[in-house]
Amino acid sequence: MSAPAPDFVATGSIGRLKRVRSSQRMRNVELILILVASAINVASLVLVQWAVLDTIDAGPLAICGLLAVLVLSIHVAMRFVAPQADALILPIATVLNGLGIAEIYRIDLALGNEGWDSLANKQIAWTALALGSALATIIVIKHQRILQRYTYVAGLLAVLLIALPMVPGLGISINGARVWIQLGTLTFQPGEIAKIALAVFFAGYLVQRRESLSMVGRTFLGMRFPRGRDLGPIIVVWALSMAVIVFQRDLGTGLLFFGLFLVMLYVATGRGSWVALGLSLVGVGAVIANQTLDYVNGRFANWYDAFNDANFSADGGSYQLVQGLFGLAHGGVIGTGLGEGMPEVTPVSQSDYIIASLGEELGLAGIFAILCLYLLLVGRGLRIGFAGHDDFSKLLAVGLSFTIALQCFIVIGGVMRVIPLTGLTTPFLAAGGSSLVANWIIAALLLRLSDSIRSEPRLVVG
Amino acid sequence: MSELTLLILRIGFLIALWVFVFFVVYAVRSDLFGQRVRKMPVAAPPAVAPDARAFLTSAQPRIAPPVSSVETAPADGTPLKLVITSGALEGQELPLQGDVITIGRSPDSSLVIQDDYTSTHHARLETRGGSWLLRDLDSTNGTTLAGARVTSPVPIPLNTPIVVGSMTFEVRR
Repeated sequence: MSAPAPDFVATGSIGRLKRVRSSQRMRNVELILILVASAINVASLVLVQWAVLDTIDAGPLAICGLLAVLVLSIHVAMRFVAPQADALILPIATVLNGLGIAEIYRIDLALGNEGWDSLANKQIAWTALALGSALATIIVIKHQRILQRYTYVAGLLAVLLIALPMVPGLGISINGARVWIQLGTLTFQPGEIAKIALAVFFAGYLVQRRESLSMVGRTFLGMRFPRGRDLGPIIVVWALSMAVIVFQRDLGTGLLFFGLFLVMLYVATGRGSWVALGLSLVGVGAVIANQTLDYVNGRFANWYDAFNDANFSADGGSYQLVQGLFGLAHGGVIGTGLGEGMPEVTPVSQSDYIIASLGEELGLAGIFAILCLYLLLVGRGLRIGFAGHDDFSKLLAVGLSFTIALQCFIVIGGVMRVIPLTGLTTPFLAAGGSSLVANWIIAALLLRLSDSIRSEPRLVVG
Repeated sequence: MSELTLLILRIGFLIALWVFVFFVVYAVRSDLFGQRVRKMPVAAPPAVAPDARAFLTSAQPRIAPPVSSVETAPADGTPLKLVITSGALEGQELPLQGDVITIGRSPDSSLVIQDDYTSTHHARLETRGGSWLLRDLDSTNGTTLAGARVTSPVPIPLNTPIVVGSMTFEVRR
């Protein structure tokens, strides 16, 4: 049997390539899942209205219908600009976002907030803006190579964004933490955008330096430790995170930045010694912070001895934490039902404590569904990184999805008293515009990465 | 709204949420259980190279022979190509471009091989330290280089058969 003519093979191969990678099928799966997600979102609003108002108020439903149209427009745009992109990220983010809006709306009804006092209305407006920025990200960034070109610009941008709240007259303090800036009536948390810039910077930097960071060093205790001169970057990032904790009084963001760097460093070099070093640095930082910073010490006391009456009734004590736990207990296995609980009793039940509010009304079954959605979202991100063909794509995908995972762990773990409570937002769920915008941009970047990874040129056999 | 209706609605909503979760899990099943296997066309039966067959029957894996005498594939910009030497697409070439070429049944791979003997993510060719390396990604049936199973990343010698599943290929200049 003679080999077939080359051009015949080539066309046959392209035909197979098209069949293997039928983008049409993926986009259709996405469309169906988006429709299911929108149906769940509408159902959650209807349930809230039936339970609280006993009637249907068409206004909020119509606005959420508009958001569904925006999500569908992203879907349609992706059919043209990113046909190979992952089919699950968009529906999962949509459902989380919608559940968040329903719960915030429900607490607004209980608190009697209306107009621009209503966090739900703000959240809906921010969602529209976030969806717009996600769409813009997918269209403008045609390939992740563009981001790699701006490695050091991204690093500089991240530092500037982190430092922005410290500028007098621009930054404001809320509940002691100085991480917001005020623009007119709107407040914005630049640290949320900074984490994306940091992930881009770390990915670009580690692609250049991973060899020297992973190869050289001396072995000690069965692990190869890096040379002193290679320690520079980890010390700088550690100092940056500690500066956030000390000067902006924001424990969660500091932990997030450092954790992000540590994981990307580990993925880039495959050296456990970096993780050991990093964790011991965090340990040292935690001990020092606990002894010198009052607010960190208070967080530890509230966590360790939450039900102690002295902590419970103290100003800034464990009242909030304990109310959240009571709420979760009130929900039980299947919850009180949307609109039937009393999550508004807990302070900031719409932002930091949204997971306790949802846990009360949807119960253990609902919380597990939400956690499963996060797990699947992060899993998709890691999967995109695993399939990546170049180191930058791999690192960026892992870094971005890990920020979502770590943020969930820090805030949900804090609410459930697994770790001391720190103020971070639950991705996609919590009331907070900057967090929504940042997380939708992360979702858009993951979609872009998955599209360009799947559409690299190649060959199909069989 | 009666208590009972609300209870049914509450449980119904939770079920809807879980249906969505399982729908998503169903859509990613290929990640969990591997890519779906397609039947090979009858005209092209899985052609296992003699070397690979010898490996499958031998009791213990052989150690890779020293390849120092053979020229290894440099990654200094010399145009290299991957040439398939057996199987359905014998004679087909793929230029070695970029940093990494992935091989497997997953549609994400650079070289997608759809047969029963290839794992979803089977092997990688990557540039490291100025040469191309072959790395097996813990595949079920293994990757062999010149008849010996690849257990750790090895430099790829030129014109030497590499077997992945039922396909044999060589790296040529």
